[in-house]
Amino acid sequence: MIEFYEVSKTYLNGVTALRDVTITIAKGEFVFVVGLSGAGKSTLARLVYREELPTKGYVFVNGVNLARLKPRAVPYLRRNIGVVFQDFKLLPRKTAYENVAFALRVTGASPREIARRVPACLELVGLGGKGDAYPDELSGGEQQRTALARAIANHPLVLVADEPTGNLDPTTSWDIVRLLLEVNQRGTTVLMATHAKHIVDAVRRRVITLDKGLVVSDKLRGGYGDGGERAWAQGLSASLSARP
Amino acid sequence: MGAGSFRVIVGEALTGIRRNGLMSVVSSTTVAVSLFVLAVFLLVGLNVDHMARVIESGLEVRLYLAEDLEPVDVEVLKIQVAALDGVTDVTYVSAEEALETLRQQLGEDAELLEGVEEMNPLSDSLRVSTKGPAWVDAVAASAGRLPGVADVGYTHDLAQRLLKLTTSVRVGGLVLVGLMVLATILVISNTVRLTILARGEEVYIMKLVGATNWLIRWPFLFEGLFFGLAGALLASLAAWQAYYWAVNGIYTTISFIPVLPVYPLAWRLGLVLLALGATIGALGSSISLRRFLRV
Repeated sequence: MIEFYEVSKTYLNGVTALRDVTITIAKGEFVFVVGLSGAGKSTLARLVYREELPTKGYVFVNGVNLARLKPRAVPYLRRNIGVVFQDFKLLPRKTAYENVAFALRVTGASPREIARRVPACLELVGLGGKGDAYPDELSGGEQQRTALARAIANHPLVLVADEPTGNLDPTTSWDIVRLLLEVNQRGTTVLMATHAKHIVDAVRRRVITLDKGLVVSDKLRGGYGDGGERAWAQGLSASLSARP
Repeated sequence: MGAGSFRVIVGEALTGIRRNGLMSVVSSTTVAVSLFVLAVFLLVGLNVDHMARVIESGLEVRLYLAEDLEPVDVEVLKIQVAALDGVTDVTYVSAEEALETLRQQLGEDAELLEGVEEMNPLSDSLRVSTKGPAWVDAVAASAGRLPGVADVGYTHDLAQRLLKLTTSVRVGGLVLVGLMVLATILVISNTVRLTILARGEEVYIMKLVGATNWLIRWPFLFEGLFFGLAGALLASLAAWQAYYWAVNGIYTTISFIPVLPVYPLAWRLGLVLLALGATIGALGSSISLRRFLRV
């Protein structure tokens, strides 16, 4: 479903966020991407929904090479990818219901379909009665649920969650993770970038560890620190080889 | 674009205007104020041009006729003069009429003319109106060569000075109005840009959920159009009222100053302002939007 082949990403300001990343994520997988701040987690996520293009290498989503995708085709790609962020990114002047409905409206869904689908999504994330509330009237957890409802409204193939629990307390975080697992159960491939150790250790799913842009470990039923020593060693060798 | 997208676009635009409350009021007011200032400049400029025209049309060439002309010769001469390049009107003024005019001009000093009335020293003449000061020299020269014309009277210096004055007033006015148009465009498009800047995050989110550029652009375009039109409407009404008062004031106090009548000028000015407001609003918003659409 998601394939990275020797992907490197260097931003215009000279910062290299990813180095030679090669990973394959199959349809229906649930994958954690962990690492310290600046390890490249967010860049990896942004490459999936094509906010960024790789400097080197190829990214495939659902068999499509994103670098070859014409700009006008990008919106259609994104309708198959749900995104959830640390800061929720809800439209402030729209109610929770309208935020979810907007994702459907841009796809040209009929009003009848929207009226059927939006309440179902809000119900699924446990916000059945809060549709009329504006984002600033909702708690952090509720805002993230709204964002999640919006992300799944289009039945996406892939759900990318970039630190979705970063602004939430532990209990609320668990609610969100449980919802992500449920979405995954229904067949959506989920990619969650995080540094919430307790969640990663408890869920025991595939864990990809990044350090300074390198993949230092990739374990099928991993924990947060699994790549620790190797990460240190590889980081050291990388910094040594980078020297003239 | 299908009917469905159109409904989405119009709905988005209306919601945007409604929920953008204060920003909408600020934008429309800015548009209104700048267009009103522009309207004042335009009105002053048009009136100065009008005054220049009135003054210029008062500049004429006098052809003094030879004593022995028959009425038929005068008629022929009139036709010949009227056919000259730059001539707009030819009027015959008899010596008696000229004397009468002179008497009126002298007013209380008319007694100076007593005694001369018996043997009128003035001669018959043709009063020739030209297209403007630029034509006076040429008309005077060619008319002077026609048979039956004894003398040509016109003030060369006055014509040239007037021409210089009206030309520089016109050029200056045009430059000023041009600068004002530019300033208005900049102010309005900057206002629109700020309202969009404040909503950059919104555009980003729209892009992330897979909205096409046009689906994002149209609502903003309609919003810009709406602000532009609303502001222009306010400016038109204000300019119309202001001009109405100004013209009435001038008519009742300094009526010798020629001003353009309120109608149809007010309608035309209103149309120009509306067109300008709508164009700048719509264009400004879609141009400002471009940098956000590259996500």
